[in-house]
Amino acid sequence: MIRLATDVGGTFTDLVGYDERSGRIFEAKALTTPEDQSGGVLDTIAAAQAGGMEAGAIGFFAHGGTTVINAITERKGVRTALVTTAGFRDVLAIGRGNRPDLYNLRFASPEPFVPRHLRFEVRERLGARGEVILPIVLDDLAPIAAACRAEGVEAVAIAFLHSYANPAHEEAAARRLADLLPGVTVCASHSVSREWREYERSNTIALNAYVQPIIRRYFTRLEAALRAEGVDCPYHAMLSNGGIATFAQATERPLTLVESGPAGGVAGAARIGQALGFAEVLSLDVGGTTAKCSLILDGRPRLDTTYRLEHSRLWPGYPVQVPVVDIVEIGAGGGSIAGIDGRGALRVGPLSAGSLPGPACYGRGGREATVTDALVTIGVFDPATFAGGRVPLDPDRARAAIAPVAGALRLSVEDAAMAILDVAFANMINALKLVTVQRGHDPRDAAFVVSGGAGPALAGRLGREMQVRCTVIPPLPGIFSAWGMLAARPRADFRATWFAPLDAAALAGAGAGFARLRAEAVAHFGQGEDAVITFDMALDARYHGQEHGVMCTLLPGDDLAAVTARFHATHRQAYTFRLDDSPIEITGLHLVAALEVPTIRLASVATEGRGLAASRKGAREVWFRDLGWTPCPVLDRDRMPVATPITGPLLLEEATTTTLVLPGQSASLTETGILMIREADGRG
Amino acid sequence: MVDPVTQEIIEGKLLATVDEMGIVMARTSMSPVIYEVLDFACGVLTPAGDLVAQMNGITLFTGTFGTQVRALLHRFAGQLAPGDVLLTNDPYAGGTHACDFAIVRPVFAGPRLIALAINVAHYLDVGGAVPGSVPPDATSVFQEGLRLPGVRIARNDTLNEDLVHIIRENVRLPAIAMGDLNAQIATVRIAEMRLLEMVAKYGEATVEAAFRHLLDSSERLARAAVAALPDGDYTASDVIDGDGVIAGPIPVTVTVRVRGDRLEADFTGCPPATPGPINCARGALHSAVKTVFKALVAPQTPANDGWFRPLAIACPDDTIFTARKPRPTGWYYEGSVHASELVWKALAPLRPDRFPAGSYASLCATYISGTGSDGRPFIHVEPQHGGWGACADRDGTAGLIALTDGDTYNYSVEVIEAKFPLRVARYALNTEGGVGAGQHRGGYGLVREYEILAEGCVVHASFGRTLNLPWGMEGGEDGSANALERLRADGGRETHGRIGALAVGPGDRVRLITGGGGGWGDPARRRPEAVARDLRDGLLTPAEARRHYPHAAETGGAP
Repeated sequence: MIRLATDVGGTFTDLVGYDERSGRIFEAKALTTPEDQSGGVLDTIAAAQAGGMEAGAIGFFAHGGTTVINAITERKGVRTALVTTAGFRDVLAIGRGNRPDLYNLRFASPEPFVPRHLRFEVRERLGARGEVILPIVLDDLAPIAAACRAEGVEAVAIAFLHSYANPAHEEAAARRLADLLPGVTVCASHSVSREWREYERSNTIALNAYVQPIIRRYFTRLEAALRAEGVDCPYHAMLSNGGIATFAQATERPLTLVESGPAGGVAGAARIGQALGFAEVLSLDVGGTTAKCSLILDGRPRLDTTYRLEHSRLWPGYPVQVPVVDIVEIGAGGGSIAGIDGRGALRVGPLSAGSLPGPACYGRGGREATVTDALVTIGVFDPATFAGGRVPLDPDRARAAIAPVAGALRLSVEDAAMAILDVAFANMINALKLVTVQRGHDPRDAAFVVSGGAGPALAGRLGREMQVRCTVIPPLPGIFSAWGMLAARPRADFRATWFAPLDAAALAGAGAGFARLRAEAVAHFGQGEDAVITFDMALDARYHGQEHGVMCTLLPGDDLAAVTARFHATHRQAYTFRLDDSPIEITGLHLVAALEVPTIRLASVATEGRGLAASRKGAREVWFRDLGWTPCPVLDRDRMPVATPITGPLLLEEATTTTLVLPGQSASLTETGILMIREADGRG
Repeated sequence: MVDPVTQEIIEGKLLATVDEMGIVMARTSMSPVIYEVLDFACGVLTPAGDLVAQMNGITLFTGTFGTQVRALLHRFAGQLAPGDVLLTNDPYAGGTHACDFAIVRPVFAGPRLIALAINVAHYLDVGGAVPGSVPPDATSVFQEGLRLPGVRIARNDTLNEDLVHIIRENVRLPAIAMGDLNAQIATVRIAEMRLLEMVAKYGEATVEAAFRHLLDSSERLARAAVAALPDGDYTASDVIDGDGVIAGPIPVTVTVRVRGDRLEADFTGCPPATPGPINCARGALHSAVKTVFKALVAPQTPANDGWFRPLAIACPDDTIFTARKPRPTGWYYEGSVHASELVWKALAPLRPDRFPAGSYASLCATYISGTGSDGRPFIHVEPQHGGWGACADRDGTAGLIALTDGDTYNYSVEVIEAKFPLRVARYALNTEGGVGAGQHRGGYGLVREYEILAEGCVVHASFGRTLNLPWGMEGGEDGSANALERLRADGGRETHGRIGALAVGPGDRVRLITGGGGGWGDPARRRPEAVARDLRDGLLTPAEARRHYPHAAETGGAP
């Protein structure tokens, strides 16, 4: 059987296929077709078929796309209405009222996705425990439905106060609206989020409704096209939580697709860590504009419990209550622009030359120095073979772009290029420390999995500075998100706000709550009672009085003493202190359910044709600050001998990227084709 | 001189450090004043007391750290050692009010003091006359809780148990206070760890030089921004609506003098300190002016003391903005916000690209306290968000936190109802009160209405701008008023501004109303489509549209 994944990015759509019978890998790339992304997907499939892939042998299809995130960022969702509890229609517009851009006195809050004239109120009221204070007046919905029809509304979101504790009113309203508005999408907040905080939940369901008709149409088109191509197997969508779901499940909760591309990379890093036997994996994906890093513990990506769309240091963004892998993203990628700021400091990013005009060395009109220009200037990238020769680079343009930076810094062009990389490294290290040290995890325990076009060129030094156990360049690092989708399993996250002081009775209550969530999970996967599902339980817990807390693992059979001890330890790990005398409270239940299905096997690579001599392509000079220009052997990664450490300095080239191995490091290829870089002295 | 690469890297690490301090504080605190309102700040200073990095939280602490730290360095001269933690909450030595506990860690590399880390946090209660420690009708600082003006709370990283005992016994919610003290100490110790890592990597001399360069280069940019303004004297005046003890109007004024690359804000002519607690001491005045100066010269660049070197602030002693002991300062930000707004109002005509028309201004902080259903005392404290003024090119922002705060969240209705014997009947835009009309209109204020569910609750609050409205600009109209209303079970209604000890119980409703911002430009120039859009959105009634925008009533006035 062939497992196939397609990942739609901003510029390119990537395909990776893996034939489990032969171990053969298919790769294809096509231009993304922004209006209907299925076009680019089919182009990659056609290209792979031309390369010998049989569509009929495809038994697994996973897809990551940007349809949802694009509809949101380009404000191209459908006309959406919101129905709220009487007295609260403005909650969506008020948001949290914060001004993170605090000295900008002209600050404007994020615009809500539903304008005021499409926000309607219904008489009903629940209390915080879900008790009915005012029964719902369903007749209030008739004029609302009429107004929606008159306004051409295509989707209606419903968000009532305290529906996380009791969904009955939302369910009743959804049924009535579905009757009154045939053909219109109706989404109730509890169907996507069972967490409290009315603004965040309202925003979640409003955005979910806003994109649902779009994603439904997209999946319908894609399914039809795939079937026409003879790809007839279950279709899966990559979710933001690092797992996959069927197209039908994803259509119900399209907002769970917001970060599907980056989540693919994280799923891949988790699989690589598992294959290598590492419990802790630090992943870094360096793209054109940003670098994204994430920490994976015991094969499970960590989730961000306060995910915000379009958020920045100075902008509140749009918080949504869907499970998204905890990714720290910074503006440091191959295209990040370097320059001297008003105070004379060298800055790199967050401005990026993107793919158009791209770095100066692309010769497409870019004039400003970028990270890629620095890598070309110091000899890491070969102008002729970069990106498999598809993008010939002009090293003179790279040097010309760096010259003004060099002038301002009074450095040689090579040292200025190193200076640009130094700043990019520092930015990435701050982000890597944020997901490790600052959250109480030691990078020295981690395998550091680096992907993305520019990542492997930077990996050796980042790994050395972070003192990781080893640095890992996975297979197909340039299209690793697609590879990762092959490694993802069906996963669903169930979170519920559930409040109790931690004691034996609460643990029993939590156990009953988890049993209900488990039943929901079994129903979600639809594979019957016999399906093999792994469950991970965690409690959201805090010291009495705290608002936020920590996620504390709960194991089957835990007694009160075990949970208490683990909570104190988790709090100390995250925040450096514990309060042994403070009572502990549970505020939520979190269940991760993953369906046990076969994922990509990492087959042994063929050994014939490999060897040190066979892989040798030549040599190239690379600039190192202490050594100056230094000759480095250039090897073809695809012909490297297996399990044979080769000492740096060294350049390893493959179709989508180049890996730089530093002096003092050695590189070795595992039997399954994973590249490992270690310090030669055994450290790191 | 540090090379620009190391400079950038050290600056990046400094910011990462103060951000990390802020995250740990917000996520571990037990007080809603910290985790929701973010009424705290963290920073790193040089051994001379110059701020080099501060987290992005609220504006109230803009540049207050220097004076506080210098006062402590003076007090403990020659006595500081590694492992010390200092504490002060003295309003008259650079601080704000007694509720704000500053925790300071001197950071030593070997024997040498290389930096100080600070965390200032508003404690939910520090004793005194009322729950929350800020009686709106206080007449002396001795009603405003426990004062610890410069003590060593830990030596060798071991807490001084006597001091801890004093604090525990003098506050109403000792568990929360101890939680916050622990969280604060954790953050300054994290800062110490990060600073020592930096010194180990780059060396003391380089780190020191990088701090110096950061301050000097910021100063240079600030001077350039001031030099770009035309020289001259720019004045503004305003009226504060009472002080909580006396109801009368309090006129205030400023003259901003721009001379070359220097700017002076002169508050000479402001009245003496008032009996009530809206006075601020000099440290808070400096912070208030620095906030607006930062908005003028570099709104989006990280703060440090270099930016403020071209700024001078003049004001005689013991005025409403420079109160001395024992003047009450519990609600200092109700006074200091007017110092900020005066400078803003004086500069707005010069830089319409930086400053909008006047806003609802007052934080309208409200305390509701009583006994919860679990028999334990509770204090619900929250600032109110309100309407901001219109800009020269667009309408004002609705429901936004006041100038004194910043990354400050409103309180979730669902969370409040789960925690306190309160029910929220309505949280909505204040369309009834309206906004300042103009070519660009002000942003809307909010209405939050509480039903009180428990017997024997008490409300106290300090709402400013209840009479003197948010100012319009360039022909735009003034905005609308803030008010606290009590709706009795029997249908009676009372309106309050700064109110101490309002007894409420089941059947009562407390309606918190914030005003709309001032308008910008002649309302006759408002585009009819904009009027039509506001009508459609239910922000304006047809009658209001005809009154404010008769020229647009033809197109937009149809109901």
